[in-house]
Amino acid sequence: MDFQAAAFAAAGVIVGLVLLVRGFGGYRTAAAIADTAPSRIASAAVGEILVSGVVEPAELTLISPLQSAPCVFYRARIDQSDGETMSNGYHEERSVGFRVRDESGELRVFPRGARFDIPNRFDEHTGAFGDEPAGLRLRAGPAFAQSLDHDAQVAALLTVHPAGGGLPSGRGGPGAWSAGLLSGMPGLPVRGRTRRYSEARIEPGEVVTILGRAMPFDQLPDPASADLAEGGDPLGSDPEIAADIAAARASGVLESNPAEAWGNAAIPGFGIGRPIREPELDEAANEPALAEPGDAARIERTFEIEPDALILAAGPDSPLVISFGGPAAAAGRHQREFLIGLLGAVLAIGSAMALAIMAAGVDR
Amino acid sequence: MSPATMAALFAVILLAIIVGFLVLSTYNAVIALRLRIDKAWANIDVALKQRFDQLPNLVEAVRGVMTWEQDVLSDVARARAAYSPTAPIPEQAATSVATSAAVRSLFAVVERYPEVRSAGNVMALQEEIERLEGIIADRRELYNDQVYRYNARIAQLPAVFLASMFGWRARPFFEASDAERLRPTAALDQGA
Repeated sequence: MDFQAAAFAAAGVIVGLVLLVRGFGGYRTAAAIADTAPSRIASAAVGEILVSGVVEPAELTLISPLQSAPCVFYRARIDQSDGETMSNGYHEERSVGFRVRDESGELRVFPRGARFDIPNRFDEHTGAFGDEPAGLRLRAGPAFAQSLDHDAQVAALLTVHPAGGGLPSGRGGPGAWSAGLLSGMPGLPVRGRTRRYSEARIEPGEVVTILGRAMPFDQLPDPASADLAEGGDPLGSDPEIAADIAAARASGVLESNPAEAWGNAAIPGFGIGRPIREPELDEAANEPALAEPGDAARIERTFEIEPDALILAAGPDSPLVISFGGPAAAAGRHQREFLIGLLGAVLAIGSAMALAIMAAGVDR
Repeated sequence: MSPATMAALFAVILLAIIVGFLVLSTYNAVIALRLRIDKAWANIDVALKQRFDQLPNLVEAVRGVMTWEQDVLSDVARARAAYSPTAPIPEQAATSVATSAAVRSLFAVVERYPEVRSAGNVMALQEEIERLEGIIADRRELYNDQVYRYNARIAQLPAVFLASMFGWRARPFFEASDAERLRPTAALDQGA
C-alpha cells in the first residue's frame, strides 16, 4: 500500500467529516436567521429577537491590531510559515459594547459570550522577498480609543484634512515593527519564510444582523460576578501563598484590608457602577474640575442606562449571534457553509472509497 | 467484512446522518417558527390591552368639553367594547383596525378644540395612545412577517412532507377582511 496516499485519504475522511459538522452548524444558524422576522428596534419586545441596523460605538472603540482601524470587534491572526510547517504566532479576538440603530431607534448590545460571524477584511501575506503587504498598519498605541459622539463624528467628517499627511500619530508605522506584535516572532526575511495576516472587524457605520435576547438592562447578568474577590480569597486557599501573605502583612508590606490599601477606590462600584457607600473626601485634596454641561450630558447619555431600557445580550438559553451585513447576506453565508459541509461529506465518502480500494489491493 | 463493504456502509451511514439531520432540523425549525408566531401574537395582545386600558381615560378627559362630538366618542367607545382577546385573529384584526380609525378621528376632532388639546393630561394621553398605535402597527407587521415565513416554510421541501405527517396548517395573517372592516361593532356601553 502506498502509505502516503493512504494518509492523504484518511486526512480526506477527517477533513470531510469536520466540514460536514461545521456545515450542520451553519444550517442551523441560517435557519434561525431566515426563520426569524426582523424586529423594528422601537417596538422590540422582551425575548429572542433579530435586529438589523448600523453599528454605532458606545463608550469606547477598539483599534484593530493589523490595520489600526477603529472598530467594535476584531479578530486578528498572524501565521508564520518556514516553508514546511505553518505555526500561529498571534491570535486575538476582542469586542466592546456598542449600539445598533435602525430607522426607528437604537439598542445597546452587550457582546459578552457572543458568536461573531464576520468575514476577514484583510487577508494578505508577505511577498517573496519578505516585503510586507500593502494595507498592513500595525497598531502602535493602545487597543482602546474614546469613541466620538454624533456631533464629533459629523465635525470630523466635515473637516478637510491635508493630503499626503501620512500615518496619523499613534497609529502603526515603521516604529511598530520592533516593539509591536511581531517582536516575539522570528524575523523576516529568510528564504522560504512567510507570514500570513488576517483580520476581521466591525467598524462603526457598518450594517450587522444580530440574533439575541432583548431584556431590560437590570436583568443583564452582572459581569461583576466574575470578580474573584466575591468568591472568598482564592489565593489564600494555597497554604504557601497564605503564609507569604501573612508574612507580608506582619512586616507591614501589605495592608490588612483593601480599604486601607486603596482608600475610596476600594469601595465596590466606585470606579464602574455605583459606589455602595459615600467616599471619604480629603479637604486638602485638589477639587476636581467639573465637566462642562455639554460634556456632562454626553457622558451621562453614554454611561447611564435606565434599568428598564431594553438591551440585547446573550441569554442563558439563547446565544447572541452577530453577523456582518443584512439578514439575507448573513443567512446566505451560513447556507454556503452547509453546502461546503455537503461537499465535505462527498470528500469523506470518496476518501473512504479510495482507502477501501487501497486496502483491497493489499489484501490481494 | 471486506474494505469495499465497510466503505459502502460508511457512505450509507453518512447519508443517513445527513437525512436524519435535515428531518430533525426541519422539525425543530418549524416548531420554533410556531412558537415565534405565538410570541409575536402575545406581544400584539399586550399592546392591544394597553390601548384598551388607556382609551377610557382619553374619552373621559375630553368628554366634558366635546359635548357636540358625541358621535366620535361613541365610535371610540364602541370600538373599545368590541375588543375580545379570545376572538379569532381576523376578528381581532378588524376590531383593531376599527379602533385605530376611531382614535384617529377623535384626534382629528381634538385638533379643533385648542382648550382640550392644551390640557396636560389630554396631551399626555394622546402621545401615549399614538405610541401604542405605532407599537401595534410594528408588531402586526412583525407577526405577519413571521406567519409568512412559517407558511412558506411548511409549503416548501423538505417540511412539506412533515406538514402532512404532523398536521401543520397555514396560520392566518393579522388582517381584516373587507367585510369585517365594514362590520358594525358592539353596543356603546358594552365593556366600557
